[in-house]
Amino acid sequence: MKNEVREHRRTRELSQADLAAELGVSRQTIIAIENGRYSPSLPLAFRIAQFFDVPVEKMFDPSEEET
Amino acid sequence: MNNVTHPRLIAPLSTFAVGSAAAIAVRIGYTWSAALAVEVFVVALAIGYYTLAGTKSDVGAIYGQRKDERQRHVVLRASRFAMIVMFATAYAIFLFMIASKKTYWQEDVFFSVGGVSYFLGLLIYGSHDEDANGTQRGIMTSEPVDDDETTRVIPPM
Repeated sequence: MKNEVREHRRTRELSQADLAAELGVSRQTIIAIENGRYSPSLPLAFRIAQFFDVPVEKMFDPSEEET
Repeated sequence: MNNVTHPRLIAPLSTFAVGSAAAIAVRIGYTWSAALAVEVFVVALAIGYYTLAGTKSDVGAIYGQRKDERQRHVVLRASRFAMIVMFATAYAIFLFMIASKKTYWQEDVFFSVGGVSYFLGLLIYGSHDEDANGTQRGIMTSEPVDDDETTRVIPPM
């Protein structure tokens, strides 16, 4: 699933490890989400959206599958 | 598992406990030297698990009992892969058993226990036939559910 996690993370000048620590997941999971290789669960998707203060439907776009 | 003070120790200590039991069995059935060899192997394996559990990889997180939701998916997929390989191997042995007119009761047990536990797992973890309100209708029910009928809200008079 395409998402804007990387863009928002860079805007906040956070490393993947920083974001992973904030969200309580591994750095590999952040990498997988940013690259569209893993679609997070609803609770994690909401945590990400809330962390960046962005609506979840803006953060994640289910209509666009990243290849 | 989250309440354990040192979750990194779970895999190595479990390995040590199970392996030591195997070493005791080897001592009872065979010799001290064979049992000692098994115990040395078990200790080396436990140290390996402890080292692995400290790494920052997915494998390290899984063995270190700190896996997140994606890593739980990895565990499920790995378990599924292992089950397929196990059953393929058992089935190959089963075919060999028939072709060579030999009987290995262990394979019969493996197949039986594996098949039954898989079916039990489906019953335990799978959702069964339910109506729109979530009420169980029984495993074998084949009558169609009228969702409109069960979800219709009658407005108060």
